[in-house]
Amino acid sequence: MTHDPLWITFIKALAVCVLLLGAFAYMTLIERKLLGRFQHRPGPNMVGPGGWLQPIADAIKTIFKEDLNVTAADKFVLVLAPAISIVFALSAFGAIPAGPAGSLFGFNPWVMDLDIGLLYILAATSLGVYGIFLGGWAANSKYALLGSLRSSAQIISYELGLGLSVLAVIIVAGTLNLREIVELNIWSVSPWLWPGLLLAFATFVISGTAEVNRTPFDLPEAEQELVAGYLTEYSSIKWALYQMAEYVNMLTASAFISTLFLGGYRGPRFLDALIPGVSEWPFIWLFVKMAIFMFMFIWLKATLPRLRYDQLMRFGWIYVFEFALAAALVTGAVVAFVI
Amino acid sequence: MVAFVILAALMVAGGVGVVTLRQPVHAALALVGTLLALAVTYVTLQAHFLAAIQVIVYAGAIMVLFLFVIMLLNVSGERTGDRLKWLKPAAWAAAGVTVAGLAVVYFLQRQPLPGAAVVDGALGGGGAERIGEVLFTDYLLAFQLVGVLLLTGVIAAVSLVQRAAPETRPQRGGAARSAPHEPGAASGAGVMRDDELVHGGH
Repeated sequence: MTHDPLWITFIKALAVCVLLLGAFAYMTLIERKLLGRFQHRPGPNMVGPGGWLQPIADAIKTIFKEDLNVTAADKFVLVLAPAISIVFALSAFGAIPAGPAGSLFGFNPWVMDLDIGLLYILAATSLGVYGIFLGGWAANSKYALLGSLRSSAQIISYELGLGLSVLAVIIVAGTLNLREIVELNIWSVSPWLWPGLLLAFATFVISGTAEVNRTPFDLPEAEQELVAGYLTEYSSIKWALYQMAEYVNMLTASAFISTLFLGGYRGPRFLDALIPGVSEWPFIWLFVKMAIFMFMFIWLKATLPRLRYDQLMRFGWIYVFEFALAAALVTGAVVAFVI
Repeated sequence: MVAFVILAALMVAGGVGVVTLRQPVHAALALVGTLLALAVTYVTLQAHFLAAIQVIVYAGAIMVLFLFVIMLLNVSGERTGDRLKWLKPAAWAAAGVTVAGLAVVYFLQRQPLPGAAVVDGALGGGGAERIGEVLFTDYLLAFQLVGVLLLTGVIAAVSLVQRAAPETRPQRGGAARSAPHEPGAASGAGVMRDDELVHGGH
């Protein structure tokens, strides 16, 4: 495996940011269209052919809206908070490998190949909570502060479930390098590991959904009790930055779940019989898997009601946490005593 | 070297900010900045695992809890109590002693730094393997003791936040007294009866 020169890494980092933000714009449209279909209505279909220019109109509208500032707010932190959110959301994605080494015209299809890539993503996402937290505090308003306290408490609680579910994968793979985890294929190690890994997969998907603040865990959107939570006092481009961070976090979560549990950038092997080498193509398989999880997030939003705050915390601490712990213990026991 | 100078300046600035900023949230943020700069310093020293753990544990968990407490208590920067007048000169004295001590050590005990090969060998590529190996062999006792210490802390925290249920206590005692040869079963029955009473009453 060769390392890319520094300027290539810069270009790739820039490309990842641009792609993620473009994906954010069109995910909002796809989400609204799908939600429309789920509710037997067409969804946005007026701007451009079939409504496909809607994100551009939204972007122009958001940028030219008046940027309201709260007089009693802490101005510096009010600007800093959305920036923190989007920076850590974007930087987390860099460690996700999108294909085998050297498969992108001789270059490596990832920005960083870290030996601790898994920890890096956990660290970057755990810093994203500062954006939510400080945003609600800086606005100096009751609803915003309560909303941000709720959201941060939720994210911190479900981070435990997330970390413990990852532990099962780490025990099987014996590495923190995401590329090596993909190359190993944790499901092929032993069928005895499947129960533990399935349990870890379930708790990981649930805590991942909670981490990105999606339905049924989307308390910031509980407008009947909290207005808009930490977003209450934000308008214009600063509000848009929070929206970007939310969707980029969703994309990262989908890519992270796929990489850890579903073979990441690898395609199904049996397709190699039809087109030789198709399972080694970069990008396409990761995109397919990410799309499945993005669809799942939207599907959940259209289907499930929101949890109440105390239900959310109890569910996180009693069920997700314990089952993730059980998954790690079972997997550890199988690795230690059976295989 | 350039990177180190920039990071060191950031860390010192953050440290000064923690002490001097009046608004507690700003001070906490300055501390987060210091911790992140320290993590980046670890990265420049090829200690990647340490850097990630530094960010996850300190910036991602401990400082978030600090901020939580500051926000929940709604501490404002205005109150500077007269009771703590002695604190300022004491802090200056402590800082002076620390700087003097560092300077003395630096000038009196100038040892050459270990070579790059030695450092690389000790770090093992900065991954988790080498740290885990050392932690579970050479420092196993200390590691286990830290675990016991943390467990004690958790139990203490749980026992501090547990509220006694005042209504159930005397009646459970009465139930236990009526059946002294079966204390466990009797108290359990007493609790259940209390619950039924409470629910029936509503």
